[in-house]
Amino acid sequence: MAGHEDELIEIIAEESLIDRAKLDPAAKLEDIGLDSVDLVSVIFAIEEKYGVEIAEDAFSREDTLAKVLAKIEALIDAKGA
Amino acid sequence: MAETIVVTGLGAVSALGLGAAENWRAARAGEGGIAPHLFEPGPHGPAPVTTPAALVKGDAVAALETALGRRIGGSLDPFAIYALLAAHEALAQAGLLGAPLGSRAAVVMGNGIGGLQTLEKAYERFFGLKATKVHPLTVPRVMVSAPVSAIAMEFGATGPVFATSSACASSGHAVAQGAALIAAGLADIAVVGGSEAMASPAGMRSWEGLQAMSPTTCRPFSSGRDGMIIGEGGAALVLERQSSARARGAPALATWAGAGLSSDAFHWTQPSLEGTMAAMRQACEPAGLLEAREVLISSHGTGTPLNDKNEAAALRGLFGARADAHPVIATKSAHGHVIGGSAALQAVIALMALAAGEAPPILNYLGADPECDLDLVLGQARPIGATSLLVNAFAFGGLNVSLAFVKA
Repeated sequence: MAGHEDELIEIIAEESLIDRAKLDPAAKLEDIGLDSVDLVSVIFAIEEKYGVEIAEDAFSREDTLAKVLAKIEALIDAKGA
Repeated sequence: MAETIVVTGLGAVSALGLGAAENWRAARAGEGGIAPHLFEPGPHGPAPVTTPAALVKGDAVAALETALGRRIGGSLDPFAIYALLAAHEALAQAGLLGAPLGSRAAVVMGNGIGGLQTLEKAYERFFGLKATKVHPLTVPRVMVSAPVSAIAMEFGATGPVFATSSACASSGHAVAQGAALIAAGLADIAVVGGSEAMASPAGMRSWEGLQAMSPTTCRPFSSGRDGMIIGEGGAALVLERQSSARARGAPALATWAGAGLSSDAFHWTQPSLEGTMAAMRQACEPAGLLEAREVLISSHGTGTPLNDKNEAAALRGLFGARADAHPVIATKSAHGHVIGGSAALQAVIALMALAAGEAPPILNYLGADPECDLDLVLGQARPIGATSLLVNAFAFGGLNVSLAFVKA
């Protein structure tokens, strides 16, 4: 069950200080400008909000934002199940 | 002879407001920033306590976001926000925004303890909530060098960049170090100052443990004074070679006249007459302040019984009868004790007073203490004829700095 995409994008924008409009789901994290420090902050904030655990190496900067969002949605769904 | 060093920019953030001009306006008008605040320690702490403090007036994050034209959010601890905002203001006044500052620019800012509020939140999670992870950026947000790194990155300063820490004298040491880097030929421009944001629930309790806090307000040199009040904020000055300022057409706001640095090697919380006098003498002698007709003195003036008595005796001991002609101000009575940021904040306000030819009043004064026999500026702002300025900062642990400036 999806449905957290808006919230997740909001968290990513907040933690990375990257304008929401630049967060195109088809773009790779590195092309969006999300660096490794941003990524650990984003992971921390998402873990906080949803009570999920995300492995340190769950994402690569080569991943697209859509892929990242899908993985997080799956974790949140698994937690809720 | 060494080239003259001038001040070309000032910036300030405190309980008196955002910006050096607003800080000066409020100080001159006799407005105080000390008020009771509720400190809420969260679900794992004891009951909330209301304590007088001087918290920053205005939205510093919003002001910084406007100044830099980008989001800041919660990416920096407040002590770094205040330092960055003050540095931006000082650099703007000096005409140094735009191009990167480069390798001939130094950044030296002081603070006493680092990002305490960030550390408290991390520890609340760890010890209180028993969370296994704390925020991944806890260390870079807490570290005492976070403000100087933030300033260097923001304005492209690639010369000597470091923090100084000496409790309540931290930004005094930073100003002295910045000037020393220029004098030593290691930089042409130095962004100097300091900041502090210790007004957190556990930070306030820690200070109270020292028995040095007033339950009411800060009354420097007054009878019935009963302690200091914690403030928060930051301040910055741009120091540079006179030739560098002239080449850019930047007006000199004041001339740097030297510093005095000493250690009491004596006690954690009690001052020493010898130590504080030694710092003042070292700053005053080469600059000719000991013979000056009138010197504006921005005292350390914390409002503790011991500090003010000692500082009055040290000023008397140094200046003798001449002290009668030196107006003494104590702006901590307005902006509280900004700990590591105090010396720079007091320097900024006092430099504006020197330029304006007016000394701001000491607030909350109840009556004379015979052991503080100085020419205190009381009641309202007073016209002054001083052409030089002495700023004192005496830290717990016995670390003393005096800064001397001459009117431009």
